[in-house]
Amino acid sequence: MAGCQELCFNVDHGYLEGLVRGMKAGILTQTDYHNLAECETLEDMKLHLQSTGYGRLLSASEDDLTVTLLDSKLRESLLAEFSCLRSNALPPLSTFLDYITYSYMIDNVVMLITGALKHRDVAELLPRCQPLGAFDQMAAVGIARTPNELYSSILVDTPLAPFFQDAVTETNLDEMEVEILRNKLYKAYLEDFHSFCKKLGGATEETMCPILEFEADRRAFLITVNSFGTDLSNAERTVLYPACGKLFPEGLRLLTTAEDHEQVKAVADCYPDYKLIFGEPEQGSDFKTLEEKFLEQEVKLSTLAFLQQFHFGVFYSYVKLKEQETRNIIWIAECITQRQKAKIHNYIPIFQDRK
Amino acid sequence: MGTLLRGEEMCLAQLFLQSGSAYDCISELGELGLVEFRDLNPSVNVFQRKHVNEIKKCEEMERILVYLLREIKKADIHLPDRDVNPAAPSPKNVIAIMEQLQRLEVELGEVTRNKERLQKNLLELTEYTHMLRISRNFVQRTAEREPLQVHYEEFPFLEKDTAMDYNSMQRLGAKLGFISGLIQRAKIEAFERMLWRVCKGFTILSYAEVEEYLEDPDTGEPVKTVVFLISYWGDQIGQKVKKICDCYHCHLYPYPSSNEERNDVVEGLRTRIQDLHTVLLRTEDYLKQVLIKASESVYTWVVQVKKMKAIYYILNLCSFDVTNKCLIAEVWCPVSDIPKLRRALEEGSRKSGATVPSFVNRIPTTDTPPTLIRTNKFTAGFQNIVDAYGVGTYREVNPAPFTIITFPFLFAVMFGDLGHGIIMSVFALWMVLYENNRKLKNTRNEIWNTFFEGRYIILMMGLFSIYTGLIYNDCFSKSLNIFGSGWSVNAMFKAGVWTNEVIRGNHLLTLDPNVTGVFRGPYPLGIDPIWNLASNRLTFLNSYKMKMSVILGIIHMSFGVILSTYNHLYFRKKYNLYLVFLPELLFLLCLFGYLVFMIFYKWLVYSAKDSRHAPSILIHFINMFLMQGDGVPPLYPGQTGLQVFLVVIAVLSVPVLLLGKPVYLYWLHNGGRRLGMYRGYERVRRGSEEELYLLRGDDMEEGSSHSDLSSSGERCSEEFDFADEFLHQAIHTIEYCLGCVSNTASYLRLWALSLAHAQLSEVLWAMVMRVGLRMDTTLGVLFLVPVFGLFAVLTVSILLVMEGLSAFLHALRLHWVEFQNKFYSGTGIKFCPFSFSLLPSSFEHDGLL
Repeated sequence: MAGCQELCFNVDHGYLEGLVRGMKAGILTQTDYHNLAECETLEDMKLHLQSTGYGRLLSASEDDLTVTLLDSKLRESLLAEFSCLRSNALPPLSTFLDYITYSYMIDNVVMLITGALKHRDVAELLPRCQPLGAFDQMAAVGIARTPNELYSSILVDTPLAPFFQDAVTETNLDEMEVEILRNKLYKAYLEDFHSFCKKLGGATEETMCPILEFEADRRAFLITVNSFGTDLSNAERTVLYPACGKLFPEGLRLLTTAEDHEQVKAVADCYPDYKLIFGEPEQGSDFKTLEEKFLEQEVKLSTLAFLQQFHFGVFYSYVKLKEQETRNIIWIAECITQRQKAKIHNYIPIFQDRK
Repeated sequence: MGTLLRGEEMCLAQLFLQSGSAYDCISELGELGLVEFRDLNPSVNVFQRKHVNEIKKCEEMERILVYLLREIKKADIHLPDRDVNPAAPSPKNVIAIMEQLQRLEVELGEVTRNKERLQKNLLELTEYTHMLRISRNFVQRTAEREPLQVHYEEFPFLEKDTAMDYNSMQRLGAKLGFISGLIQRAKIEAFERMLWRVCKGFTILSYAEVEEYLEDPDTGEPVKTVVFLISYWGDQIGQKVKKICDCYHCHLYPYPSSNEERNDVVEGLRTRIQDLHTVLLRTEDYLKQVLIKASESVYTWVVQVKKMKAIYYILNLCSFDVTNKCLIAEVWCPVSDIPKLRRALEEGSRKSGATVPSFVNRIPTTDTPPTLIRTNKFTAGFQNIVDAYGVGTYREVNPAPFTIITFPFLFAVMFGDLGHGIIMSVFALWMVLYENNRKLKNTRNEIWNTFFEGRYIILMMGLFSIYTGLIYNDCFSKSLNIFGSGWSVNAMFKAGVWTNEVIRGNHLLTLDPNVTGVFRGPYPLGIDPIWNLASNRLTFLNSYKMKMSVILGIIHMSFGVILSTYNHLYFRKKYNLYLVFLPELLFLLCLFGYLVFMIFYKWLVYSAKDSRHAPSILIHFINMFLMQGDGVPPLYPGQTGLQVFLVVIAVLSVPVLLLGKPVYLYWLHNGGRRLGMYRGYERVRRGSEEELYLLRGDDMEEGSSHSDLSSSGERCSEEFDFADEFLHQAIHTIEYCLGCVSNTASYLRLWALSLAHAQLSEVLWAMVMRVGLRMDTTLGVLFLVPVFGLFAVLTVSILLVMEGLSAFLHALRLHWVEFQNKFYSGTGIKFCPFSFSLLPSSFEHDGLL
């Protein structure tokens, strides 16, 4: 059966897989980053990016280059690539690609609600949303007062609706509640995506499940670590843990009882993958935050997806890598504009050992 | 011929360019395309070089030009002729051009913005009129107490409410509000749902589609839109409704409260729309004028900016001298072009009015120069065939001049058909005659361009095919009887061998050449046409073509081996002549040359009379290797002795080939050092060793500077590695000796392809044409028309195009593998001069020009 899947894969998805692998070749290399880091001004960066896959993306703009402009241009280019993939996709790949956008939609919803709570104008917030997760009803999100209202009047038509099943409450939305909402949504989303990938089976399952499991565990860890010092109780925390990761169920139970960073570390020590992340930094290397380490690990996992063929993981990985690349470029650009040359090398390189 | 055989002699030259005139000098060089610049600052980052700002400025200008071209294209204005070739603008003029461009851009931008604003305005007004016109129906309908077009079934009481007139609503104390506008057709359903969910039914939505397509202001695409009217109760709901409208990007327009107001507004809108139309028309006119003016000089600007950018790019490759007063550039230049180069520099200095002239200085170098082989339109195609395998090493023998003859010939051996050859050469001749036609030249069709580039090759191939077609006596698989066959059937009767009974009784008859008068001597040109009737034609032709392929192959390969002597002599490696060339040639000729000899011997010695005793060459050849031959009668006296002698020589040449060169080099290397030490002792002078190296370096300089060994004697002696050399030679020996066998066999493809071609064309004739010709009623004439059409199409598509391509590929292989590996290394780098005409244009790439 598995062999049959590989036989027929190219009939429907071969073109897009080829396309995405071609796009992957355009991801900036170590030398590109090296050159970018040597730039003095944003104009120099523009010159350099011209020689990469971004080409004339920036040259057409007449205005002065700013980091915000750069950011939006990079996002636009990713959106253009993604929508090209999406519009050519056939099921089940199209569903898979939709799943990728859901996480961005969740982020957008949460950001808009937070903005509305702070009485910011929607028009001001919209450009800052991740365009990959844009949907029609986005601008109306601010109307809602409670998660229930949010669900029943606005999001019920969106693909996010199924994730709301657990998240519907009548309490008023405040910042804490929004964070809880985000995590609940994410939990539902990750579990759903995970089971979807499981259902697809074959190489997709083999590549995607580890990535999603890692994602789930990362969320569990981060929720725990971030909950220290807030009035989020242990029991409330437990509800938020996505139950599809490697930590499930034993690790999550341990995490529930964790009270400080050391205890979290003790939990991580039981899992070789996470032991490294929580481990002490090596002598001589720069200090990295937990999130950076997680991001590094994510990049590593994503690059692994390209080693196999005939699966959908490459699409997910490509989007994630491209997102990381955008973050890297923005980081370098920020360092350049703020003259923080010392920190410029803190980006996370993709495809390190490629020459 | 000399340069075509070996390529141009190149030299490294230093250009000292006065900083004032450097720009003009390089511009002059770019027009001529004489030299290839070398990067003198490879360590400097791209954006840290000197003229980055100028390049940025050029890019800015390019951006404006792209914008201009796009606008011109959008306005459908024809670009004027592109034959102008303006020189690169002087730095002073650049500012003027820049200003001009910027002014144009600002002007255009303003006008376009204006136009867009007006268009948007117009669109809004149109939308408003549509809205008013359509929403009037809603009110009328409600007034007539007709059910609304859209209503909520779940809330029938609401319908009742809408039916009430406004006065009664107001009397109820609720504040009735209206919001009306337009929304895209695709979004209306979601909009409606959301409206209902959020407002819990405190609204009524009625909508109707606009019949026309309205333009979407963002994308400019025509979209179907819907006019809607929301009636709501209360301010709270109103706020929410407005938000939802925002979120769905509705275009909202004020809803007139009474009929009179509505009429007024409609009236006002009509006049405003008319006004806008006239203004818009004027703006478009003006825009067009601006663009037409710009289009006149836009191509000149494009060329100028392109040249300027290239010049600055080259200037970035140059380095400054110590005094900072002049730029130094290093260039590869053909030796014969140096006077031209000098003149160009003088011209450049004169143009810029520099007081100190720029000058050229040849510098010695140990680097291998790039290869330049000058071609004309005829030889270019053949040179391309060779270059596709590998660009010749500097000053190596170039196979292209020989390819001009051998390539079409080998092709034609496989494609031998007079008729097909004529069609092919007529097609090629047409391309050659109309080669200056712009329409043929400037197409973007890649397949067509391939054919067009190779038009001379195709012409030669066609002509040679005509020749081989005559030799094979094949014209669309039929034979031509021009001179009258040399065979006579009549004579068989006269001699009494055949009688009428014999003819009636036998299906097949054999002509006997031994009967007098039957065979009157060979046909003057090629194969006798009588073979076309013979049933053993194929056997005869196979034997003939197979032998011919082997003969041609051996000649071709021996020629390749002989060509290698030119390389050995030119690169001053005389030892290669004795240690490589000679054993190679002996091996080839003793084994396969002898085979050719036997073929000729058999052809010449055995005639029709004793053809029964004609021996099999194959058996003799095999016996030659087995050193036995007692069973079969010898071809000629002393055959066994000669054969043993030849085999021994061939076998002996293998170890010579294998060991000769490495051992000799080893001896040279060791002997040289011993000699040096010996001299050192004798003269007791420290410099003697050095001197010796210099001496040796001297006599090797000319040759070895290009060879793969190394540039000077010193390095040569240090880098010599016996094992390495031996390994290379061993590989070469094995490759050559095995290659001789397999390559000879490989030439049999000449026979195979020629057979395939002949058989295919015969099948085509038999299956298609003959069917048409067999019908002998009057209808048959009509039937012949489609049959001939089919025959012609199949002939062109299968026999000419497909068979031609396959024969082309096989000829290509025979040249690349079988011929060129005997002498051609092809490891050079092509000389690519800095020339404006060779620069790619980014505009063409974008399809703007």
